[in-house]
Amino acid sequence: MRFLMLLSFVSGCSFAHQWTPTYPELTPSYVDGVMSTMMVLLNKRKDVSFYEISVYDKDWNAVPFVTTDKIVNINYLERKRIEVFVRKKDRLSVTYVCSKSKIISTRNGDRLAIPSSRICSKIKE
Amino acid sequence: MFTKNVILLGVFASTSLINAASASTEITGNIESKCVITTDATGVYGNPTTDVLSTLPTDGGVSPLIRFDILEGAAYKGVVSYPMQFTTSPVLNDVVNWTGAAELVEMSSAEMSAFETSKVQYENVTEFDLTIAGSAWFKVTSNAKYGYGKSFPGGTYSATIETECIAK
Repeated sequence: MRFLMLLSFVSGCSFAHQWTPTYPELTPSYVDGVMSTMMVLLNKRKDVSFYEISVYDKDWNAVPFVTTDKIVNINYLERKRIEVFVRKKDRLSVTYVCSKSKIISTRNGDRLAIPSSRICSKIKE
Repeated sequence: MFTKNVILLGVFASTSLINAASASTEITGNIESKCVITTDATGVYGNPTTDVLSTLPTDGGVSPLIRFDILEGAAYKGVVSYPMQFTTSPVLNDVVNWTGAAELVEMSSAEMSAFETSKVQYENVTEFDLTIAGSAWFKVTSNAKYGYGKSFPGGTYSATIETECIAK
């Protein structure tokens, strides 16, 4: 444990990604025939400022959905509420709503193995 | 004199009442199930020989360290994948052979060692069943060997380790 704490200090700082709630619920939206759910993204990764939103069924097939931005620009330590809309006819197949960090920058001469994070919430049945 | 004492007593009593009122102010919070993925250390490839890039410390590299903070046991599955291609590299004319691993190296509760014993591995993916709440640190190693008897060309190399937290 002491080694890990030391490593955290030596490596600068920790970068975290948080996507809640774990079990969101689809509710009727203000548009007829469209369901929606509200997700919250918290970016505590200094090295990432873009996250991609995606929606899948239980077999990890992509399900059509709409948000204000599918690639969300979010600053370090910023929290954003993201409303995800799906068609009412897809409501039974929608299973996972995910956010994934997009890594875009490397400097000249770097030899890096960069962790990319994806968190998937499961729609409440 | 008596009147002054009564006034002082009155002031003291009212101050105590205000203090008592402020002491009862509530702080509300909300605990919800969640999984937080934290990068405690970004990996760096060492170059022990001209045809190898490796994150192993013995090869001059740094292994990436990823922490999963789980607020509720059995709500999430953790998935860690070591890279199978570079996201940035110079033009490579030969194949790159990738190997790697993901292992649990530290945990906030001894019971979490079950994550390591029950992990499932396939291709470049390792799945951990996050059955116990707490923090778990996973070390990922990645090794890339270039062609046969060839040297990696000079330039920038980067690869992505996929870490996922999937609600069950």
